Amino acid sequence: MSERPELSEAEAFAAEHALGLLTSAERRQAETRMARDAVFAGLVEAWRNRLDSLIDAIMPITPSHGVWAGIEQTLPVNDNAADSRGLRFWRAATVGSLTLAAASLTAAVFLANQPPVIIHPVPVGQLLNASLISPSGAPVPLFVAAYDPVRKALIVTSLVQPGKDPAHVHELWVIPADGKPRPLGFIEPGKTKTMPMPEALRNSLALGSAIAVTVEPPGGSPKIDAPSGPVAAVGKLVKI
Amino acid sequence: MAAATTPEDLAHLMARVAAGERAALRQLYDATCAKLFGVCLRILSDREESEDVLQEVYVTIWRRADRFDVSRASVMTWISTIARNRAIDRLRARGPLAYADQVEDLEIPDGSVSAEALLVTAGEVGRLHDCLGALDDRTQTAIRTAFFDGVTYEALGHRMGVPLGTVKSWVRRGLAKLKGCLSQ
Repeated sequence: MSERPELSEAEAFAAEHALGLLTSAERRQAETRMARDAVFAGLVEAWRNRLDSLIDAIMPITPSHGVWAGIEQTLPVNDNAADSRGLRFWRAATVGSLTLAAASLTAAVFLANQPPVIIHPVPVGQLLNASLISPSGAPVPLFVAAYDPVRKALIVTSLVQPGKDPAHVHELWVIPADGKPRPLGFIEPGKTKTMPMPEALRNSLALGSAIAVTVEPPGGSPKIDAPSGPVAAVGKLVKI
Repeated sequence: MAAATTPEDLAHLMARVAAGERAALRQLYDATCAKLFGVCLRILSDREESEDVLQEVYVTIWRRADRFDVSRASVMTWISTIARNRAIDRLRARGPLAYADQVEDLEIPDGSVSAEALLVTAGEVGRLHDCLGALDDRTQTAIRTAFFDGVTYEALGHRMGVPLGTVKSWVRRGLAKLKGCLSQ
């Protein structure tokens, strides 16, 4: 009978972290190492994925109703927006308008005691969202895009399964009212990307403009300022 | 209880959460909170503390949603890792030897099946279960207890009545065998 070789010290440590065996000090060490060492982080992730199905054996138990309320009251804006106070103020008020709007921490405390309200601050911009669906296929979003005029960035998420078509790339376009497509950049399958938008493009990213993704050869469309490949998905920018 | 949510549904929800949509977080919460609460409760065996941790977990998901990468892990793996990590951090704060009472002592609604029984019956556990089953009993117990209860080697040794070094070598050898078995 052949005994399996031992795990390397790094892998054993990675597996122990994934399993949850480490002490507090070792856990901090493992987390720091994951942040610095991509190979080690990959080992931890591989072990998490290996052990993943054990979660199936854990019985779901419904928590009390109060938990959601607690979450809602403490929700900050996403980390990726934390650098802009203007955005923090504004986005919390618009994105959160479906539920409780919180313009600032102070306002959140105040509003926590109020019935749900929608705040309309002086608009400094408007977050625009687009769900991109295939023009011919099922009405399921393949890409989700949000233009943030305060950060002047487009946040795009691809819901396309990676590895399906490695010979091509997905190129993003904006098609404003004049009908002329402008290239925005590329989005890898399965990834989320924050793309800063140069000044020349910002006016094109307006309410009603279409965002489209085309399938292009590596490096993008060989044509100047026009897609060459088929449209994979398209959607209009709308206010949330 | 939320209707069945497919991995694709969850991936789409995560994308909307990453874009800052609170309604999407609510939907994700409805679809997954019972599972993640089960994870926390198994480790902490304390309802109030587990609910506190659960709250932190969803705030963390909200803050880090843009770092979720669908090509590296499923949504369920990613969020349950956050839940386990938060619960384990909380358990460690009780002290290095801390471990919660075993889940069997908890009040669990009548008619529910124990985790171990579920492990045996759940078809999807399949391969990992087979490979774990091929290990000797004490190694299996050590690995499962580590995963479900989030305890340290030291606490595990205490529980099993063996020195830390012994349980460590069981687990490490077991993990090497597990990896070999899973890669076949």
